[in-house]
Amino acid sequence: MSSTSTDVEELPDAASASAGPIKLGPSKAQVVAQYLLGMGVALVPFAVLYNDFYWINILTFAYLMAGLASAWNIIGGFGGQFSLAHGAVFGVGAYFAGQMCLIYGLSPWLAMPIGAVLVAAIAVLISWPTFRLRGPFFAIATMAFNEVVAVFANYSETLTGGARGLLIPFRASFANMIFVERWKSTLLMFVYMAFVAGISVAIRHSRLGYYLLSVREDEDSARASGVNVVAVKLWGMAISAALTAIGGTLFAMFIRFLDPPTLFSLPEVGVKFALLSLIGGVGTIWGPLLGAALVIPLENFIRATLGGLPGVHLVILGLLLMLAARFLKRGIVGALGAIRWPRWMSRR
Amino acid sequence: MDNIVTILIYGLLLGGIYGLVSIGLTLIFGVIRITNFAHGEILMIGMYGTYFVYAWTGMSPYAALFVVVPAMFVVGLLVQRLLIQPLLNEPMMQIFVTFGLLIFLENFVLMLTQGAALGIPSDNGPQVISLLGNKVSIAQIFAFAASTLIAIGLHLFLNYTMMGKAIRAVTQDKRAAATMGINVNRIFLLTFGIGTAITGVASVFLTPIYTLSPTIGGNFVLAAFAVVVLGGLGSVWGAYIAGLIIGVVEAFAGFYIDPTLKSAVWFLIFIAVLIVRPSGLFGIVGAEEVGFREQH
Repeated sequence: MSSTSTDVEELPDAASASAGPIKLGPSKAQVVAQYLLGMGVALVPFAVLYNDFYWINILTFAYLMAGLASAWNIIGGFGGQFSLAHGAVFGVGAYFAGQMCLIYGLSPWLAMPIGAVLVAAIAVLISWPTFRLRGPFFAIATMAFNEVVAVFANYSETLTGGARGLLIPFRASFANMIFVERWKSTLLMFVYMAFVAGISVAIRHSRLGYYLLSVREDEDSARASGVNVVAVKLWGMAISAALTAIGGTLFAMFIRFLDPPTLFSLPEVGVKFALLSLIGGVGTIWGPLLGAALVIPLENFIRATLGGLPGVHLVILGLLLMLAARFLKRGIVGALGAIRWPRWMSRR
Repeated sequence: MDNIVTILIYGLLLGGIYGLVSIGLTLIFGVIRITNFAHGEILMIGMYGTYFVYAWTGMSPYAALFVVVPAMFVVGLLVQRLLIQPLLNEPMMQIFVTFGLLIFLENFVLMLTQGAALGIPSDNGPQVISLLGNKVSIAQIFAFAASTLIAIGLHLFLNYTMMGKAIRAVTQDKRAAATMGINVNRIFLLTFGIGTAITGVASVFLTPIYTLSPTIGGNFVLAAFAVVVLGGLGSVWGAYIAGLIIGVVEAFAGFYIDPTLKSAVWFLIFIAVLIVRPSGLFGIVGAEEVGFREQH
């Protein structure tokens, strides 16, 4: 597979290497500082808009989608495995938390980790047969999986409430993850995004992260270097799916109404994660977050101004997706990286 | 027993439809290995094209073949030239771009039609005949016949013409094909065009059978991929037979289990095939790897 985005750190040149020990990429302190700076910037809109009734909803959703896109990016971007199952994973996480809350009165804080582990196990089972193969079989199988989960969700009244959907009663409390003040939900979504981004940073600079990149860049070479390709993909998928399921729980308690068309629509959910990542910069840490920061408000703007035409926001998203795949393969992050910054602005 | 014969007949006719829908994808995904997720939506615009030709001229919908098929060939050329060709060596971006096309086409048609359901009324001429005591729609028999004829034609084309050999050569090794004097980009362009034109034929034969909606493509795309993988990538016969198998399986599952769970049945078949025999029922062993290996 040829490289779609290469943010692998450059090796230091011979002159600087001879001066001291070889340094690969930024130091731990730099990474942490960058992460904290990024999260600080991401918190600015919240600090400005937390009292604004219109913007706070958009912001809540943008934080959630940023976290979800970031979770997708772990397997889709770092690992280069185009998953379309994440919509299903998200939906199962949402339904699990919703039903646990409705039937057993279980707090979503408890349902969340259980659901995440459960969903990760399902994702591994689904991915294993296709991860052994080359090419787009994984994308096709995961798309089929999304469809099957949607069909079952529609079919099974007992598990999901079927086509009528599930309504989670409004019982505001911290234990229920339901808040009277909207900004508290927003803050929760921000914490989720920061959590996923943190894990993403940690993975990116860990052994697993380098393995995932090596699998994406050249599976044969990775295997020849002793990387257990299938295991690496499965770990990436499991972590990514677990984080996505957590996002599903948060979504369930925020929206409090779950039905199959909302959760399993590919353009609105499953593909959206991938789309946000692509537009921001697939395979980078900041790409998915930037993508969500741009696309979610844009979508709301289109809906608000051209709402009379059904599907118009998706027409524009489809166009954006085609254009980005064609002309902006490395996303905004890649485009920014390609600019020749004046010397005083350059990072090193 | 009567039940079984009836289900078998309906299953085979349904299988004919799946075969018809899948043969274009056999060429595009099976032979030249382009992951076209917008296949169902290309079928959908063909169906709308057929409907509008029928509505404006008042002729038989089958007469729309002469308009829709050339138009779809051009659509295929445009999609390949503008979207796929620049991304030929980037499978991940192919998925992105074809998904963009899927979302765009589906919602563009939704925007234009405002979601109104369109269909060809079945009140002109005899529409149903009796087959072994079962009432069968003539449109479905036409679709079955078209599927069979196209499968034979495509098989002969791929195996016995110079162009067909060139197409298969390009799939196996682009660079070696180029050194043999084959214009690789042109072959990709024409193959994608032909695949889309065949999908255009399929859309004409499906229009009298189904009620049109912008999301109708979604009903076929999974089945089409399942058929191509089950039949074996690159095998036209495989896809034809696999279409019939999926149709029959769906008919039996619909009768004995539940019609709404049909995609679950496809999915299980699909996963089982990938585990047990990734080259499909009629594919050459290892065919699933050809064309997905890195080529520079």
